[in-house]
Amino acid sequence: MRPLDENETTAVFNKLHKFVGNNLKNIVLDAQSNEGPDSKPGRYCFRLQKNRVYYVSESLIKRATNVKREKLVSLGTQIGKFTKVGKFQLTIQSLNLLAANAKHKVWLKPTSEMSFLYGNSVLKGGLGRITENIQVNDGVVVFSMSDVPLGFGDAAKSTVDCRKMDPNGIVVHRHADIGEYLRMEDDL
Amino acid sequence: MGKKKQKVVLPPELPPDVPDEDIEVTAEDVHFINENLDYASYLSNLDTKSITKHVSRVADVNEGALELLYEKRMRKKLDGKDKEQPGMEVDPVDALPVKTPLGKLYYRRVTKEPKEGEEESKEGDSITKGPSFVKLTKTEKRLNTKKSRKEAKKQAKEEEVLQIPQAEVLDEVKKDLTAEEARESKKYKLAVLGTSLLADPESNIKNIKEMLEISKDEDSAIVMLGLKSLVAVFKDIIPGYRIRLPTEKEQEMKVSKDVKKMRFFESTLLSAYKAYVQKLVALQQQTVYKRVAVRCLCTLLEALPHFNFRESLLAAVVKNISSQDDVVRKFCCATIKSLFTDNGKHGGEATVEAVKMIAELVKAYNCQLHPDSIEVFLSLSFDEDLGRPEKPVMNKRGQNNKSKKKKDADDQKQMLENERKKNRKEMLSKTREEVKADFKAASFAQDTHERRRMQSQTLSAVFETFFRILKHAVESTSEASSVPGTSGSHPLLAPCLNGIGKYSHLIDMDFMPDLMNSLGKLAGNGSKSSEKSYQLTVSERLRCCIVAFKVMKSNLDALNVDLHDFFVQFYNLILEYRPGRDQGDVLAEALKIMLCDDRQHDMQRAAAFIKRLASFSLCFGSAESMAALVTVKHLLLKNLKCRNLLENDAGGGSVAGAIAKYQPDAMDPNRSGALASVLWELNLLKKHYHPAVCSIANSISTMNTSNNQVYHSHVSPLQAYTDLSQLDKSFAPSSDVKKGNNKKRKGSDNMPVKVVSEADLIDQMDENVVRKKLGEHFFLLRDIQENEKLRSELDRTTLSLNLYDQYKKQKKRKTR
Repeated sequence: MRPLDENETTAVFNKLHKFVGNNLKNIVLDAQSNEGPDSKPGRYCFRLQKNRVYYVSESLIKRATNVKREKLVSLGTQIGKFTKVGKFQLTIQSLNLLAANAKHKVWLKPTSEMSFLYGNSVLKGGLGRITENIQVNDGVVVFSMSDVPLGFGDAAKSTVDCRKMDPNGIVVHRHADIGEYLRMEDDL
Repeated sequence: MGKKKQKVVLPPELPPDVPDEDIEVTAEDVHFINENLDYASYLSNLDTKSITKHVSRVADVNEGALELLYEKRMRKKLDGKDKEQPGMEVDPVDALPVKTPLGKLYYRRVTKEPKEGEEESKEGDSITKGPSFVKLTKTEKRLNTKKSRKEAKKQAKEEEVLQIPQAEVLDEVKKDLTAEEARESKKYKLAVLGTSLLADPESNIKNIKEMLEISKDEDSAIVMLGLKSLVAVFKDIIPGYRIRLPTEKEQEMKVSKDVKKMRFFESTLLSAYKAYVQKLVALQQQTVYKRVAVRCLCTLLEALPHFNFRESLLAAVVKNISSQDDVVRKFCCATIKSLFTDNGKHGGEATVEAVKMIAELVKAYNCQLHPDSIEVFLSLSFDEDLGRPEKPVMNKRGQNNKSKKKKDADDQKQMLENERKKNRKEMLSKTREEVKADFKAASFAQDTHERRRMQSQTLSAVFETFFRILKHAVESTSEASSVPGTSGSHPLLAPCLNGIGKYSHLIDMDFMPDLMNSLGKLAGNGSKSSEKSYQLTVSERLRCCIVAFKVMKSNLDALNVDLHDFFVQFYNLILEYRPGRDQGDVLAEALKIMLCDDRQHDMQRAAAFIKRLASFSLCFGSAESMAALVTVKHLLLKNLKCRNLLENDAGGGSVAGAIAKYQPDAMDPNRSGALASVLWELNLLKKHYHPAVCSIANSISTMNTSNNQVYHSHVSPLQAYTDLSQLDKSFAPSSDVKKGNNKKRKGSDNMPVKVVSEADLIDQMDENVVRKKLGEHFFLLRDIQENEKLRSELDRTTLSLNLYDQYKKQKKRKTR
């Protein structure tokens, strides 16, 4: 377990910024944890452990130092991993963090929720609602109509273009969805 | 004309007419006087003529014998007189004599003349012109009555002069009279010319030039009268078509008498009209004539938008549309509005021109105009079935092309099959087209294509103006921020936003992103980028939000777009709202459109809005808080989970989402964590002084969390606001304190009544005390202010005295 170096930090922050925009500040600076014996609320930080990036409270970090690096399986919330090429990928566990701070959102109709959870992209026909001002390649968090976060992805079309599309066009390319908890149980 | 001159001469002759026949009656009179000799001397002073006439009239009614005499007299009189006489006796106004200060009875016979003439012209008019003469006669009448009154006065004066034969006075009066007479004669001439024109415009058309000459007079009153009467004349005699002067070729051709006459009429009319319009345009520059000239221009434009020289009229009117003068501006705006509303008169062309001119004006003045000048756009009307004239036209054309192509393909097939058929078809289509063209030429109805083209032109000009204003508002403020002294005020923004809201369904999709962008910027008031600050009022920013929602709503193509940015702006705007300063109805409208009409909301956002509205209804006025509470109720009904706010224990944890604690100062409603809070405000609102607010707070707090009854309150926030604000005017809070107490009394029966009444007393006492204290406080404040004023004055005077002393000393030194 170690803090991220500079390149890694920029990679992680860039990725997060794509989804949450200026709310990144909330994740990094403003979030306060009330765990541990300290009366003062601690902050959250990012830690790297076996190529995976975790979002951990300070008090937990202190306690985790007691565990040997090889033996430490996981701590805090995993938000992503570095691939073998060195690129950073957000994993589905980061969904809660993203959903709370998301800038661009898409709501799915109940009929198309299932299709998305099987790993398909979001089509125009399945779109229940969409925030305005989405540009192409912005990070988008996908919700059900009852505001349950389902996953996230890249915008394939801007909001304006969405209007003119036919219902079979892809609106959001899927990155991760909560179906992965079942489908890819071993990889996570 | 001759007839009239006769009539003019006649009336003075009438009085001498009377005594001839009255010999017998005077005998009666003598008898009467003999009976009352005391009064005889006094009577001798009086004008016997008029009195005798008066007496004779009475006698006429009483004694049948005298009727014979009258009949004789009638027979003697000419026919023309005959006509006049009954008119005079019947007319109630003229039957009553006027008593001059000297006690003479004066019968207003002169007044009859112009009216008589007018009546004739009326008759002629009603045959030839029909409906449009009513207004004209009014103005003419006014003119004429004025004139007649003045003439009556003049006559009285003359008689006065005769009565007191003093040379000096006579001279003086005569001098006055010559000036006045000239004026009177001019006025009279105007009236005569006008009536003659109206009676038979085609033969008397030359008179119009004389009228024009008169209106070039030096006397401003005469000029005004001339201008006004010319308007009346033009309005009535100008034909319902555009005059085209004959070309030289046409003039060379031989034509019948009638046509010649007609041509002469048209050409003189046109030249006179041209001269008149030019004169008006020139006169409106002068302050003296400004109002008259503008009014004339407006009435002309309103009445004759189809006629020649419309462009110059329009230009002049549009120029004055944002005039500093309220009267002028209102005239111009009303005219333009009427121009927009009845397109039928001019076939829409004038509308297009006017809109384009206004657009130019806005461009030229860099959006610094009076709001009225844009507000006229609101009275424009576009056909609903035309719907989005800009795009559908294109689409339809495309479709037509496609269908044509299809048809062509079919035709080719058919041609291969059968050429004869095709030929017949061509023939058919050709004849059809010919018939269509003929029909078009014959029918007055406008071609739909033409109409569509016209409307799309208008619309594009209107939106160009709107977008220019918006852009200006966005850009100029950034400049203003660099130069803090010049605050960029946007007089046109409010009507512009209204206009965009009204025509939002007509906006082209391609403009949407830009529009939303600039609206967002304006609504945000530069909160995002700190270096920019837009000087917009809260109501204007609220309007921006409303417009954005309206635009989105009317352009929803099965795509539900969530305007989160605007929600954030609105969430923060609620904080900045001040009941007295800002317009409550705008807030209520925003509440309705943004929160009530929208179908879905995030739970977090809804909760945040509920919490914020509830807390701010504590400090709003009763009407605003009513609107806010109606919204809260609506949101709570829709969002089941938000009813956790009504529970006593703060939710927190899993219910509240990521944020465990309520943060009232969060900018983003999603980050406020309102679900973790409790709506304690309702308990305070239950004790609100206004019974309506009180009752709705009660009904909200009794809403059940588990019960999922879907009943919707039909009252919108806007409606609630207007209802209550109207009520508020007649609503005195002090009386309601008692009401509230009464309610309390009913609610708490176990409380002794005495205590309550004491509480009442205490309340009243408190009120008195508070009033006294406030009064004292304000007196003190005023005293302090006055003191300060006096002190500053004292300082100034002492300073000036000192300076004066120094000056004196210096002078002395110099003199030494």
